[in-house]
Amino acid sequence: MNESRPCVLLLTFARRGEEEAIREGMAAVREDLPGAEFVALGTAVSAPVMRGLGLEDIILVGEDRGTQAVMREVRARAPRGTLVVYSGPGLAGHWKLELLALASGARRAYRWVPGGPMVVCGRLALAGSVVWKAGLAAVCLAVGGLVCGAAWLRLRGGRSGSGG
Amino acid sequence: MKATLIIVNHNGRDLLEKSVPAALEAAEAGGHPVMVVDDGSTDGSVEYLRGKFPGVRALALPKGGFGVACNTAAAEAETEAAVLLNNDVVVRRDFLGPLLEGLGRPDVFAVGCKFLNPDGSLTHALGNRTSGRWHRGLLYVHHETEPHRLEETCPQLYANGGGMAFWRDKWMALGGFDRLYHPLYWEDVDVGYRAWGRGWEVLYEPASVVFHEQGTTMGRFHRPAHIELMSAKNAVLFTWKNLLDPELFGQVMAAQARWAADDVLIGGLPPRRRALWAAFRQLGEAAARRAEERKERVRSDAEILELAGGGAR
Repeated sequence: MNESRPCVLLLTFARRGEEEAIREGMAAVREDLPGAEFVALGTAVSAPVMRGLGLEDIILVGEDRGTQAVMREVRARAPRGTLVVYSGPGLAGHWKLELLALASGARRAYRWVPGGPMVVCGRLALAGSVVWKAGLAAVCLAVGGLVCGAAWLRLRGGRSGSGG
Repeated sequence: MKATLIIVNHNGRDLLEKSVPAALEAAEAGGHPVMVVDDGSTDGSVEYLRGKFPGVRALALPKGGFGVACNTAAAEAETEAAVLLNNDVVVRRDFLGPLLEGLGRPDVFAVGCKFLNPDGSLTHALGNRTSGRWHRGLLYVHHETEPHRLEETCPQLYANGGGMAFWRDKWMALGGFDRLYHPLYWEDVDVGYRAWGRGWEVLYEPASVVFHEQGTTMGRFHRPAHIELMSAKNAVLFTWKNLLDPELFGQVMAAQARWAADDVLIGGLPPRRRALWAAFRQLGEAAARRAEERKERVRSDAEILELAGGGAR
């Protein structure tokens, strides 16, 4: 890593078929941060996709590496920004990636939705998104629990017969 | 043994031009009847059949869906066995012999064909040597695509409804395809699972080769998003109806409850929250079917998956 060039942490699930979106997102960041060098957070599954994009600097997550060790390594790179690549329309989902972007210590987040404009925000806005999604998820979990609980109560009845 | 070849059609006149002659050719040597059950076509399929293939029985039904068409045709057939074929499936001339031979084994309910793409490849081909495992609130079905694992006759979880032979008496006992899954998907998985549950078997037969243009039929009449939603809804209904092991069922229901939150936190997932709600609207129906299933079940859920190929990879 060239010390004089800004480091950007790439955060993506790198699902197959998203390569083009990731490439476009990186190009859009480079317009704002010329010469940016990317370091990616990846798993054993996503790393090959990222290497296919020409990314060699990959911090591997999972297997025998704890989250704390990974985050120490991320913060040691002192990323100037983070690039979060979303899959669908809007800025839906990708909560874990947003949380990682916050934890990285980077001051700026580039939120890239394929086919849409690049959304650039600071830590406060990103934290707001994390909190909002966590709250919404809690409500959804409660509703899901009610629906499935009602279904479970209805379906577990009438235990006659030899099933199970 | 005689078997009626049943081709299920809905507005697929152009597809019948290829699939019917191939079926007729395959059926000819054994004197097996061929029937086309038409599910309310408006493209002249029935007239075309009656004009071009007088030897084929054309059973014209009002639009009632895939499952109803299959059930009606199976009830109307006069042979002891039947073979279901999609209208976009073109059979190989020698496909029938091995398929019916498999049915001759004791306790076999159904035998599934080997599905190849029209160019003979296996990439993304569905319905071969199927197996399943419970994972994150659903039965995940594995369709084998490794050529070396597709060379032997063996048990499988279910036979793809696009190309399967079955005993009619067992089919009738099972009630055929369940209307719970209307309009599409999971009805063949369901009937296979329930057959295993009753102590019968479902086999995969590699010598019975058919060519399937995947998605031709459904893709014509349903938007991809609708197909995805219906498939996800039916996957939920499948668990609600068929998963009888109390402990596993509790785990699966807990996993399904988390889906709504997953949709918010993860994103880019199948429409599981909407699927859960759509399934909930059919809860009463699912509960009734579950009660019926309980009475007939002689194998546990774990035994079914184990015997039907065990542990999908």
